[in-house]
Amino acid sequence: MDVRNQPAADEAVETFPAPPRARPSQVWGRRLAEDREELTRFWPVVHNMVSQELRVRYQRSFMGFLWTLVNPLLMMFTLSMVFSQLLPMKLGDGGNYTLYILAGMIPWAFMAGSITESSTCIIQAEGLIRKIYVPKLVFPLVRVLINMVTSMLSLVALFLVLVPMGARPSMAMLFLPVAIGLTFAFTLGLSLIVATANTFFRDCGHLVGVFIQAWYFATPIVYPVSQFAEDLQWRFWLNPAFYFVEMFHDVLNSGRMPQLSIVVIAAALAAVSLGIGYAAFKANEDKMVFRL
Amino acid sequence: MPRSRPMKTRWFSDSEGRGRGLRRDRAEAPAGPLVELRDVSLKFVNYSDKAFTLKRAVLELLLRREREVPNSEFWALRDVNIRIERGERIGVVGSNGAGKSTLLRLLARIYPPTHGTVAVRGSVAPLIEMGAGFNFELSGLDNILLNGAMLGFTRKQMLEKVDAIHEFTGLREFADLPLKYYSSGMYARLAFGVATAIDPEILLVDESLSVGDANFRAKATERIRGLMQRSHAVVLVSHELSSLRDLCDRGLWMHKGRLLADGPIDEVLDAYREATAAAPAAPPPDAAAEAIPAPAGAIG
Repeated sequence: MDVRNQPAADEAVETFPAPPRARPSQVWGRRLAEDREELTRFWPVVHNMVSQELRVRYQRSFMGFLWTLVNPLLMMFTLSMVFSQLLPMKLGDGGNYTLYILAGMIPWAFMAGSITESSTCIIQAEGLIRKIYVPKLVFPLVRVLINMVTSMLSLVALFLVLVPMGARPSMAMLFLPVAIGLTFAFTLGLSLIVATANTFFRDCGHLVGVFIQAWYFATPIVYPVSQFAEDLQWRFWLNPAFYFVEMFHDVLNSGRMPQLSIVVIAAALAAVSLGIGYAAFKANEDKMVFRL
Repeated sequence: MPRSRPMKTRWFSDSEGRGRGLRRDRAEAPAGPLVELRDVSLKFVNYSDKAFTLKRAVLELLLRREREVPNSEFWALRDVNIRIERGERIGVVGSNGAGKSTLLRLLARIYPPTHGTVAVRGSVAPLIEMGAGFNFELSGLDNILLNGAMLGFTRKQMLEKVDAIHEFTGLREFADLPLKYYSSGMYARLAFGVATAIDPEILLVDESLSVGDANFRAKATERIRGLMQRSHAVVLVSHELSSLRDLCDRGLWMHKGRLLADGPIDEVLDAYREATAAAPAAPPPDAAAEAIPAPAGAIG
């Protein structure tokens, strides 16, 4: 079932939502204001969905909610075993290789998890969307927030293993909230894009998994940038995820503030991603119910 | 309620953003109709393959060819104009597929209109499909809270209602049981209990609300009537003409997505009964006239 996707040009005047007589900027300003209102109103729904999803995930297991903490710890243990014992690599600037991997893994797991889950979030919420009105922005947001909570807990677990590994808290860690915020915005934008695309083109869902995998290897997470010759390193600058992962590397592994240029580029990327994602999602929000 | 900006062009409820004070608005003077539908049409398109594939989109974009004519278009609603004032109880009749349920879903903001505008002022309680948004893994109590949140209530407000809901459904002892272990009757009772626990301004009721055993059904009917009395406006879809005559004061007759008649309930129901009794299969006289491409606008 479907509403026709794009009206013919001559019909454009009478299509709905009402033709933007005002300037586009006003239209988007109004949409933003409405969304803010709606999200405040539906915040209990978001809150409920996130907390209950987390609760259901560990329901009936012996350790219960402890798993959210133990799981990343075990994961880190495996990763550090594999990469420090089996496939050791040298870090250019000293530092602990295990810590390097773990520091990069946390933002990456957050991004990858959010994007993968968001790609199906609208389709999975079909039962809800067809029965009751909930702002559709809620669904990708819930997926991203759930991953956010999980990776914050991983971060806590990381701090627990930091000490025995010889790292000490540094002033640079005060920068963490900024890095997390930027990563969140970037990921939310991508999630919105993917959620929109996959609702209309189901093929996208299959591509997302492969794409994320390829992206993972293209990003310096399990290998340091210094593995490559100086004159090839610029290639990583083309990778948007590089800047976000690098911020976490700098703060958690090297214990220094990230370079200003990296932060600025990350902020710009986050803004662009969020802007495009939001625009794409809002422009197609009304049609989604017919594509389920 | 002072309104700072015109809201007519919006197809959705504009009171929802004004906080959750459902009762706050109640005392205030009405401002215009609660619901206004202007030239509303809604089209469904059945594609041969349900998914609209990327390949097709790319090809269409690259070749700039005309969009293939889809297998079937279907106008679920056509040029519907309705104004619902405060205090009206509206009964909607029509044969199957006339667009009654679609109309309710449009009012509940589930479907956006293809053309036209829908303006709804006030909180809407959709008793259209029961158990929307229930999570089978969660306990009965958690589901009450989650569903309440979707209907616009905070956790605190909902916790105050929980007792009354348990009272009504008689499921207090199962409150901590995950929903997946509920029997279908219990599930229906819980869904009904939650959906009717709120005090809406605009109540949308779809037919076939008979849930549970005879005892519960009587309670349910009574509860819906109570709810109808408390709400500002009611739109009731049913095939039971006698109950419509009882409960409503204004009737809408829909046929094939068009509004055939709009007026006092008795007149509309009489006309409807006459038409269906005379020729159950054939379209009523008005519709026959309209089968020829006709300008919009039926009786109403």
